[in-house]
Parts: sequence; structure tokens; C-alpha cells
Amino acid sequence: MEVDFTRVVAENQSLVFSLALRFLRDRSAAEELAQDVFLQLYSQIRHIETPAHATWWLRRAICHRCIDEARKRKLRPRIGLEEVPEPSIESRQSDPFLYERVRCLVAKLAPNARMVVLLRYQEDLDPTEIAETLNMPVSTVKSHLHRSLALLRGKLEKQEVCG
Amino acid sequence: MNPEHELREALRREPAPEGFAARVLAQTRIPPIRVTPWWRRPATLALAAALLLTLMIPSEISNYRRREQQHGLEAKKQLMNALAITRVQLQQAQARVRRNTRHAL
Repeated sequence: MEVDFTRVVAENQSLVFSLALRFLRDRSAAEELAQDVFLQLYSQIRHIETPAHATWWLRRAICHRCIDEARKRKLRPRIGLEEVPEPSIESRQSDPFLYERVRCLVAKLAPNARMVVLLRYQEDLDPTEIAETLNMPVSTVKSHLHRSLALLRGKLEKQEVCG
Repeated sequence: MNPEHELREALRREPAPEGFAARVLAQTRIPPIRVTPWWRRPATLALAAALLLTLMIPSEISNYRRREQQHGLEAKKQLMNALAITRVQLQQAQARVRRNTRHAL
């Protein structure tokens, strides 16, 4: 079965870009990395069997590239005005400042823990799928989730300022 | 406070920047720069051909000379044989003529 690359890009661009953006908190770096990952997929498109396989491949590739990038750059989270999303109709009823704080606290987690949290709460993957994507034991995934949640809960309750 | 709910809301997927897909697709249309390896470049091939000819011509000339020399020697041998045979035949004919002349006298 031949996979239509144009369709793969259209269907997965948000997934790939969002993971990179939430992980790196740098819009231009996220876009660059996302483009790289799509081009890498393009060069290997003949090995991709189905659109689901493409999604799985992209998710795995962007996760590993982001972790590598963070380790390489010893990235310190940066918050720019451009990173704060325009409040949507839905978010008018919720608290955009709270969500920005949550994203900032997530960005302060260690690279592996950060990616585990992103895959769990952005991509809605279960621990087994996360373990498979990140090549780590399920127990490690669960431990990252448990510790990260405890840490975030503590910081949110203490109203700790993130920055 | 339920951090799981806050996390789900805060980490919602964000749409890719406008024109992102178009930019990716545009990059896939750029033909990759093909670097011809040095051993397949025309100049290298021409040089290799010239070198091969330079090596082949003297050895071919020497082979040709050796063959011609051998042909010459064979021809010489055949000619010597033919001359020897002719000489013997002439001597025999001369002897026969002498004998007949003597009888006739």
C-alpha cells in the first residue's frame, strides 16, 4: 500500500509541531525540527506501510529528536509573547494564565519525564504505548508520570511562580 | 485542583503555523544535489582511457614487431628450403644434360 505524503503531512502536522513546541517552548526551533522530521519521513516513505504507521513513525521520531535537541542545547525554557496562544472562545471560560503556568512547569521537567507527560496528556497515549515510543520500561513511564504529577500538583497548590 | 485535567487542557494540540505543510512539500520538490563520484566524472574517465591507451600501444607495437619478425624468419626459412631444392634439381638436370651430351657424342 502506498502512503500519500501530502496527506500524511496534513494529518500529522499539528501532532508533530505541538509535541516539539510544548517540549522546546521555542516556536521557530519547533517548526524547524518538525520540518526536519517530515523530510526524514519523506526520504523513508517507501518503508511506510499505512497512514497509522506514518503517525507512529512521526511521533517516535519527533520525541527522540526533541529529547536529543534538549540534551544538546541544555535548553532553558524561554517564554516569549509569541508562545502565548491567542485566547480562543473556549479558553475565555477557562484560565489561560493557569494553563500557561502548567506548560511552563511541564517545560521544567527533565527531558524524559517531560516527554512522558506530553505523550500522556497531549497525545492521550497509555503507559504501554509511551514505553514503546520512548524505548523505556513501562514501570519507568509510570514512575515518571507519578512523580511529575506529584511535583506539578505541589507547585500548582503552592501557587509557585514559574519563570 | 486536578492536575490531570489542567494538564489535558494546557497541553492541547496546537495547530501548525500557517503554510507549514506547503513549506514541507516545497522542500520535497527540491531535487537533491547529486554529487558524481570522482571515478564517474568525464575527466577521470578520459584520463583513465588515455592511460590505458598509453599502456596498451607500446606493448601492442612490440607484439606486432615480434609477430612480423617471426613471419620474416619463417619466410626466410621457406625461401632457403626452396632454393636448396631448386639447387639440387638444377644439379640433377645439369648432370642429366651432361650424360646425354656425352652419349650423343
